[in-house]
Amino acid sequence: MGKQATEMLKGTLEGIVLAILAGRSAYGYEITAWLRDQGFTDIAEGTIYALLVRIEQRGLVDVEKVPSAKGPPRKVYSLNAQGSEYLNEFWGTWSFLSERIEQLRQQITDTQGNGE
Amino acid sequence: MTMAARWIETITGSLDDKKRWRAYKARVRQLPPSYRTAVEGVERYLMYTGPADGEHLVQMVDDLADLFERAAADGTPVRSIVGEDPVEFVETFKSNYGLSSFLRKEQRRLNDAMERAEKEGKQP
Repeated sequence: MGKQATEMLKGTLEGIVLAILAGRSAYGYEITAWLRDQGFTDIAEGTIYALLVRIEQRGLVDVEKVPSAKGPPRKVYSLNAQGSEYLNEFWGTWSFLSERIEQLRQQITDTQGNGE
Repeated sequence: MTMAARWIETITGSLDDKKRWRAYKARVRQLPPSYRTAVEGVERYLMYTGPADGEHLVQMVDDLADLFERAAADGTPVRSIVGEDPVEFVETFKSNYGLSSFLRKEQRRLNDAMERAEKEGKQP
């Protein structure tokens, strides 16, 4: 994963994590592992953890401590009503952004096409 | 809380925060050496750049200990926790717990300066 991809991912990571949690509850390690499987190989577990702390503080997720066979209990996160609302807002923003950027690319491709 | 205890706390900071700080230090001592080195590195950086008030600081190091204890149990290598750019990781982490009093003051100054500039621009 390149530097540009990492930078771009930063702004959308919160929405991505909320979207994962909309599918099912998960703990930090699972979320990081899933992202790595999807090709986001540079994601640090600590970055995901920092984000989970933030969305917990903002009341977007519910947290349950589940005992673990080895080590301290795991914190399992699940999306709550406020989180779902916030996720809807994220999808709206995402649609807006991706449409405008695609439009921009189309315009530029068209202009270049005419110039030749 | 007794009068005496309250009086002492205004001078030394919260006793509860101190207790939590000592508990955190004890947790760090239990970590395997490489995780301990990593946590102490983050702790040092937080001391210089982190939030000024004790309550936010102890909350932050508690959460930090949770992260590293869990990672040690899972066998996650330190580099996978902190990433290629540890400064960025700590800055992201830190942003959840408020600003240092120094930074807060400077940001207020910056905002004030812009408000003054705006007013000056409106004068004929």
